[in-house]
Amino acid sequence: MIQLHNVVMSYQRDAAALNGITLTVPRGDFVFLTGVSGAGKSTLLKLLYVALKPTRGQVVIDGQNINRLTRSQIPYLRRSIGIVFQDFKLLPNRTVFENVAITLEVLGWSRKDIGKKVFHILKQMGMENKMNSTPLRLSGGEQQRVALARALVNDPKILLADEPTGNLDEENKDQILNIFREANIRGTTVVVATHDRRLVGTSHKRVVVLDKGQIVEDSHAPQ
Amino acid sequence: MPRNNVAKRPRLTNERFTGRMIYYTARALANIRQNMLLGVLTVGTITLALLIIALFLLVFVNLEGVTEDWSRRVQVTAYFDRELNPQEVVAFKAKIAALSGADRVEYVSREEAARRFRARLKGQESLLEGVSAEVLPSSLEISLRKESRNSVAVAAFVAGLKKVPGIGEVQYGDEWVKRFSAFMNFLRLVGALLGGFLLMAVLFIVSNTIKLTIYARKDELEVLGLVGATRFFIKAPFLIEGILHGAVGALLAIAILTACYYGFMHNAGNFLSFDPAETGLSFLSPGYLAGLLCGGVMIGFLGSLTSLKRFIS
Repeated sequence: MIQLHNVVMSYQRDAAALNGITLTVPRGDFVFLTGVSGAGKSTLLKLLYVALKPTRGQVVIDGQNINRLTRSQIPYLRRSIGIVFQDFKLLPNRTVFENVAITLEVLGWSRKDIGKKVFHILKQMGMENKMNSTPLRLSGGEQQRVALARALVNDPKILLADEPTGNLDEENKDQILNIFREANIRGTTVVVATHDRRLVGTSHKRVVVLDKGQIVEDSHAPQ
Repeated sequence: MPRNNVAKRPRLTNERFTGRMIYYTARALANIRQNMLLGVLTVGTITLALLIIALFLLVFVNLEGVTEDWSRRVQVTAYFDRELNPQEVVAFKAKIAALSGADRVEYVSREEAARRFRARLKGQESLLEGVSAEVLPSSLEISLRKESRNSVAVAAFVAGLKKVPGIGEVQYGDEWVKRFSAFMNFLRLVGALLGGFLLMAVLFIVSNTIKLTIYARKDELEVLGLVGATRFFIKAPFLIEGILHGAVGALLAIAILTACYYGFMHNAGNFLSFDPAETGLSFLSPGYLAGLLCGGVMIGFLGSLTSLKRFIS
């Protein structure tokens, strides 16, 4: 599902943020990317949702080499990727329902189908009673569940998360981790960048450790 | 989390152009509702900007009306030392009308000249005692077309006129025409410079305001990009929003201008020493008003388009 081969990523004249990364994530895998701040986790995720293109090397997502994607092709690849951030990136002046509906509006779904599907996913997240609230009235955990609903509402092939539990308490962290697990069980390939050791330790999933832009440990690398 | 049993295959909304436009317009209207404060800021700026332009136009159009009146005084007179008979008048008129630049030709008989002279000396008619109409010349007064009321064109016309057989003395107040031409050129230059600077300042202010309002919503652009929206999908509602803001701003500017104009015309007599209704101050023609509306729409559209380019990579 995801293949990186000898990827180097440099920001202008700075030292390389990623240096010779080779990584394969098979379909349906669940991977934690960990490492200290500045290790290159976020940069690697940005390559996966094509916010960046590598300085050198190849990145293949769902069979598509991102170096060969034109600007107009990128949105179509992103439709098969759900993304979650530490700061949720919810639109404060839209309701919870509208925030989640955006994903399906982009795909051109009819209003009726959007209504059904959004209600369904919000119910799964336990957020159906807050559909008409705006994000600022929600707790951090609730906001992250809305962000997850937005990322998962179109059943993406890949779910990427950048420090998704960074702003949450322990109880909410467990809830969010469970949602990731369930999405993974349904067949979604999940990549979570985090430096939360407890989250990684209790999950028993594959862990890739980055340091100074290089992979220094891969617990269950495919043979 | 159980697998959804809701329709998995997305049923697409009307994919035709009209269907998508209905969606984009609905989204633009929803955006306006959800970003009321930013919308008010944008519409307010466009309204003020267009009001400044409209006031400038109003002054310019009226000034042009005044100079148009003045320019009618640019006329050429051909004098005759005898009275012309009707056939000669018709023949001269036809020959002069054929000259490039001629507009209207009027024959002033000696009697008419004397009557005018008396009218001009009203109150001092005694000066004319014993003076008969015979001492005054008859003449053909030729008014020129608007585009020929400048010193170069008048000189060319007079040269042509002098070639007409039977035409003797010709007068046209060349000093006055030269000064009037210079004044008109100066007025046009000042008008173009002022208008140009004003337009540039207005465009700069409006485009920066729109840029700021779009910057305030850059998270929305980012989120739409992350969920896989195409650039057109992201831009279209913003552009429609820009067009609507521009149109509303222009209509408000026109409404305020109209209210100011008629308010001034009705009330200025109370605090000014003259009645503005008698000065012939005119309002902007429907063409200018339509131009303002189009200008508002274009400012809204282009302002949004250029600002979006900065934020959508």
